[in-house]
Amino acid sequence: MPLPAKVLPGFSASLYAQTGATPTPLTVAQLSTLGNVSAIAISGNQMLVEAIPAFGQDDAVANFMVAGSRQSDKIPTQSAPTSMTITAAWNPSDSVVLQVRADAYNGTVDRTYVVSATDGTGTVYYAFNARVGQFQIDAQPGAEAKAVFTLHPRGNQYGWSNTA
Amino acid sequence: MATQQNPVQYGKAIQFQLESIVTPVPVYAAFNRNFATQPKFITWMLRNVHQDVYTGQNQNNKGIDRPVFQISIFTQVIEEGFTISNQILQSLHGYSGLFGGVTNGFYISKADVQWLYNSYDNSDKLAQVFLDCTLDIPT
Repeated sequence: MPLPAKVLPGFSASLYAQTGATPTPLTVAQLSTLGNVSAIAISGNQMLVEAIPAFGQDDAVANFMVAGSRQSDKIPTQSAPTSMTITAAWNPSDSVVLQVRADAYNGTVDRTYVVSATDGTGTVYYAFNARVGQFQIDAQPGAEAKAVFTLHPRGNQYGWSNTA
Repeated sequence: MATQQNPVQYGKAIQFQLESIVTPVPVYAAFNRNFATQPKFITWMLRNVHQDVYTGQNQNNKGIDRPVFQISIFTQVIEEGFTISNQILQSLHGYSGLFGGVTNGFYISKADVQWLYNSYDNSDKLAQVFLDCTLDIPT
């Protein structure tokens, strides 16, 4: 069960959410621990989203310029985990989407989310704790209605793990 | 969760719905048309049955289906073809509700009919009118 050693299609990625109205999110150490993360990444917890948006860490730097110095300097600073705006085909009865809607309404529920990507043999996980900051239904004619929501990860609360 | 819809049901529903609109003009699936003996008739062809597929390993992570069926109207008198096409437009365009009757029908959010073009086949002596109808089907 190695870490995937192939270039992966975007279809290989899935998103999972911890269950429960008042979940206990994983600790920082657990977010990088395979046993804790893979327990969340099960089919019953999968969020049926259209695509996984960019995930990881934002860019943020401080620029230092000193008069008389030949070069300025850039120091990474306060680079937060990336917020993820996600679109799902809207089934009003989907239990995971209903949970996200409830989180958005509450505003203060921390929940652990997991992105997994697999080549069929190995799996890599990106786990993070986040709150829901947006929940909208986009019902434009011409395609299925969409549920659009944004996950805002809490600072420093994410981790990588894999099945290697 | 969006399961794959069955094109057999689509075919049965289209046949029923078109028959109910244009009766007593005969309606055929494309393979069964019998233009030699009838002065006017309709055929239909289904295409573009497709639900978008989305990310992950869950097969049911899909969108709605928006199939299209083409309606071909054949008449010996050109005006009759236009009249039948108007019957279909008035009945189907913008329609939402049960499509295809009680037995084999299903709910559609909208039917969108596009009147494509008319033509004339000199060898068969038949005027033709072609329409496309797109269905939005909740899944």
